[in-house]
Amino acid sequence: MDRIKAPRSVFINFPLGHQCGKPNDPQLQDQILMDTLSHLTGAARAGDILDLPYEWPEPFDWACYLNDVKAMVEAEGQLIQNWKPKG
Amino acid sequence: MTRIDYVSCINTMYQSQGFPSYRWSAFDSSPWTPFEKPLDQARIALISSAGVSRKDQEPFNPWAVNDLSIRQIPFDTPFEHLKLHHNYFDHRDALRDLNCVFPTKRLTGLAAAGFIGSLAPTAIALGMGRLYKRTALQQETVPEIVKVLKEQQADAAFLVAA
Repeated sequence: MDRIKAPRSVFINFPLGHQCGKPNDPQLQDQILMDTLSHLTGAARAGDILDLPYEWPEPFDWACYLNDVKAMVEAEGQLIQNWKPKG
Repeated sequence: MTRIDYVSCINTMYQSQGFPSYRWSAFDSSPWTPFEKPLDQARIALISSAGVSRKDQEPFNPWAVNDLSIRQIPFDTPFEHLKLHHNYFDHRDALRDLNCVFPTKRLTGLAAAGFIGSLAPTAIALGMGRLYKRTALQQETVPEIVKVLKEQQADAAFLVAA
């Protein structure tokens, strides 16, 4: 986000796939959306990134991300893609 | 909780496999237009890069590379008429509740409650990741999106970077 410098951004420290909240948690989802929409009028300068205060309840890191995607692909009966560099 | 530096992690992972460095987009400045309309009078458009499409549309390839296409999805499309194909994030919770990455129902509720003025009638889905054709994205896909936003008289776009 720092590189892209969108006019106004919010950051929520949730795992990918949960940018607007947890499933079937409309109260949290609404709060995230309202906080984000309010930044539209509340941002003071170009490139402002607002950190939202919500915490994901379980620890997650890069290894979790890779493991979750792998587990998802396998659970859905798909094949893991193994890209190779050209040449 | 510590933030994940996805850019560094991706760089490390792929370079260790022999791939060349990826040139991530970076800009020196940010465009800025003051937003002076009250939020409860504003028309908001939704753009999501979660690979969502209608069942009567061509689905996204979940492993797509350089897919610059968009899908236009009427805002009132029931979730049971939508599908999600995107394997670059764990989408299982999104399949349980698309609002996680495509919050049309939640935004509809906020408009009904008067928090925002109105919603652009068509949401836009795109952006499967693994996009290397930056120029084509900027010169082909973005103008197509802007045209839709202008036709719908959107005041602002709410972008969910899934």
